[in-house]
Amino acid sequence: MKKMRVAIAGLTACSGCQLALLNCEDELPELFEKFAFHFFPMACSPALLEGEYDAALVEGCLSMPHEKELLLELRKRSVHLIALGTCAVWGGVAALRNGEDREWLRQQVYGHNPVASETFEPLPLHRVVKVDAAVTGCPPEKEELLRLLAGLTRGALPVGIDYPVCTECRMRENLCLLTERDMFCLGLLTLGGCGARCPSLGVPCEGCRGPVPEANLAEALEIYSEKGFGRITVLDRLRRFCPEWKL
Amino acid sequence: MNNNVPFPAVVSAIRPLTVETSLITLDTDPHHPVAASFLPGQFLELSLPGVGEFPVSYCGFPSVDGSIELCIRHVGHVTTPLQTAAPGDGVGVRGPFGHGFPLSAYSGLDLLLIAGGLGMAPLRSLLLALLKQRGLCGRLTLLYGARETGALLFLDELLEMQKRGVIELQLTVDRPGYCLNGPPDCRVAMLPDLMDQLDVDPGRTCAAICGPPVVYPLLVSGLRLLGLTDNRIHLSLERRMKCGVGRCGHCAVGTRLCCADGPVFSLAELAGTEGAIV
Amino acid sequence: MAPQYIASHNLAALLDRLRRYGELHGPVRGDDEVVRFAAIAPGTLPDLSALRTLLPPKKYLLHPQETILNYTAAAGYQMPAEEVRPLILFGVHPCDLAGINYLDRVFLGDAPDPLYAARRSALTLIGISCTPDEFCSCHISPSPLNALTDLSLQSLADGYAISSGSPRGDELLEGVKEILEERDIAVPEDTRRFFGQVAAEPLRQELDATLPDWQTLADACLGCGACSICCPTCYCFDVLEFGGLDGRSAVRLRQWDNCLLKCHAEVAGGMSFQKNRAERFRYRYRHKFRGFGPLQGIPSCVGCGRCRVVCPAGLDLRPLAERLDEGRHEQ
Ligand code: SF4
Ligand code: SF4
Ligand code: SF4
Ligand code: SF4
Ligand code: FES
Repeated sequence: MKKMRVAIAGLTACSGCQLALLNCEDELPELFEKFAFHFFPMACSPALLEGEYDAALVEGCLSMPHEKELLLELRKRSVHLIALGTCAVWGGVAALRNGEDREWLRQQVYGHNPVASETFEPLPLHRVVKVDAAVTGCPPEKEELLRLLAGLTRGALPVGIDYPVCTECRMRENLCLLTERDMFCLGLLTLGGCGARCPSLGVPCEGCRGPVPEANLAEALEIYSEKGFGRITVLDRLRRFCPEWKL
Repeated sequence: MNNNVPFPAVVSAIRPLTVETSLITLDTDPHHPVAASFLPGQFLELSLPGVGEFPVSYCGFPSVDGSIELCIRHVGHVTTPLQTAAPGDGVGVRGPFGHGFPLSAYSGLDLLLIAGGLGMAPLRSLLLALLKQRGLCGRLTLLYGARETGALLFLDELLEMQKRGVIELQLTVDRPGYCLNGPPDCRVAMLPDLMDQLDVDPGRTCAAICGPPVVYPLLVSGLRLLGLTDNRIHLSLERRMKCGVGRCGHCAVGTRLCCADGPVFSLAELAGTEGAIV
Repeated sequence: MAPQYIASHNLAALLDRLRRYGELHGPVRGDDEVVRFAAIAPGTLPDLSALRTLLPPKKYLLHPQETILNYTAAAGYQMPAEEVRPLILFGVHPCDLAGINYLDRVFLGDAPDPLYAARRSALTLIGISCTPDEFCSCHISPSPLNALTDLSLQSLADGYAISSGSPRGDELLEGVKEILEERDIAVPEDTRRFFGQVAAEPLRQELDATLPDWQTLADACLGCGACSICCPTCYCFDVLEFGGLDGRSAVRLRQWDNCLLKCHAEVAGGMSFQKNRAERFRYRYRHKFRGFGPLQGIPSCVGCGRCRVVCPAGLDLRPLAERLDEGRHEQ
């Protein structure tokens, strides 16, 4: 069978999602058999965009003009464009301070030193291009990545998840950290798919996978406030991974 | 019969019908019930290995050689990759599931078939079955509407039947401008509007409907106006059938299960069922 | 014959003897204080004081997520070969027993589900009596479902009355008879009495969509899924298929689902038949209190109270059910 041509690009992010892919050590030989990674600057050089791609996997959010150009270019050349990881899907940590004065923010970090390149308020990919599928998570689950790739070889995109972390947490018969221990767990509002990784270890969900469809924020805020977490606290925490959380 | 495990089948032909639909012919074991013993209106579950499974109505007639015809709209998670299937590809089939159209109840009566869009697929199966037993029914009238002429399925076949005088055919498309190069006499109207000019004898007519759910309320009230009683109106409901055997809970219509109690219901059966006709 | 009796101090001996017949599970309190059905370690006792486990015993019959088919290009789709070992569930309450009865009716009807059927036939049920708390509703709406057991224990002051309900139970009683005594005791009323009642005439009339309750419930619901996950009779499942990277293999899974979630009734193209959450509550209500398909007229709620306990928003369909039930008499 002809190998699928894939581009993997990293925009503003920590490269953790691309690393998650490289960490699929057991599956790498199989992956290289099925996929030709024509553009994967993090792992292979030289990195030149060339021809068309069956799929482009893009990590990170957009915060610089050249990233926007690269993204548009990838979109043009690819059958499927996939947002890889929370930053690409929701904005992520880089977008944490969206809404605040950028000049002031710049000075906080760089003082009066000149900055190498121009930046704008970080955006998730879907604000600029059509995204065909998303694999969320900080970083994404290895299993989800492999399923995405296996699906692509068959021309299929992943089926979206519609349940929150709580659903999986209950399936695992975990103690509920929020209702039973009054801990600040965001599982109620966070998209499932991680198998309730954190609560299963006794650690409250940080919301790293972004909002679940039909999240009932208003009611959740009530519940959190009964547990002593005010709305500002909750929204701040939620926006660490998805600045678009709004009331 | 174990209906839990898909039975192997092979794509023998795939022919595009419109931009987003195609007619897929599968080769199966002629002795297997998927091929041999279904009723028009029943459905099967088609599996694309490694991608998933989806419910689809039979579109042809039970064959002796084990081939089955399915009309597939390539818009879903599984049906999209199926668009690039090629003859020889292996798939899986389970079924037949549910209740089909009550062929025996039609005996001696006139039949009014009303199809909207992809709803033509199961009604084609019904039409073929009725034509095979010519003499079973009286007049056969088909009202068929689609978005545009390019989306009218099986057009040649239907026009041919009309020419032979075995069916009375009325076609319509939703919007003018889409009717260019269309078949002769194709109207520009909503499907329910076709009923205005209809001449039926309500005392000896049954109706079989399959179309997008949005047109059902108007079609139903139109048929009632013509004088048809609810037990003479049969309609096929589309739900998200997953297991096909009344267990997954995905296909409920009120307190009924579309896979086990339907997908073809008489309007009388659906009386008081919330959400059946939306 | 006088009732058979087992003294509390013989409970450990009873459990040890039962182990000869299969793996022994019962309600066990974890370090996190959560009570779950789990293996009763030799030398320990199950927690018989707890009124409900977090997940009901359905987890043994339908796993939260399980492979239902394997695919290989060479062999096509095939059912997984599962080795089913005898399992004894000790200390099952009447509601959970009735819950299993409901699942039996769904999964063992015509064309039984093979996975369920295999696990079910390897399952021995040992019931125990209990006293309803404020979350339970078994005593409020008696159910036509049966709370069948192989063995039943009824708590007395210093022991249990024990009786058999099946040939399997007879065999077990025979096997443990040296620690039983025949005693002339007044056996208290069987707490399974709320089950196996004649079903009320099924309500034919549809639920009133204009009741404000549906929207009120919908507004408060967080869509966390807990109510279905923890319900002994919620069996809806989603079906997922994943292909292998090799391009030649695949697995098909089923996974517990909740009808209050968005995707539940969506058809290809994204149209949903239970458009908003208020409609989905009506759907859930219908299933819990009126029943579906072939089980129409048989309410599936067995009153275990789990949904009320686990709902983070404290939602409860029972008051509504009681109100609508009064309407039944006025019809
Ligand atoms: S611990 Fe967190 S994720 Fe788990 S059920 Fe409770 S709120 Fe949900
Ligand atoms: S539980 Fe929450 S924070 Fe932890 S991995 Fe899942 S989504 Fe991320
Ligand atoms: S609906 Fe609630 S009370 Fe009734 S059986 Fe289910 S979890 Fe128990
Ligand atoms: S447990 Fe409560 S909040 Fe969660 S889905 Fe059920 S009704 Fe909604
Ligand atoms: S398709 Fe599963 S219950 Fe009808």
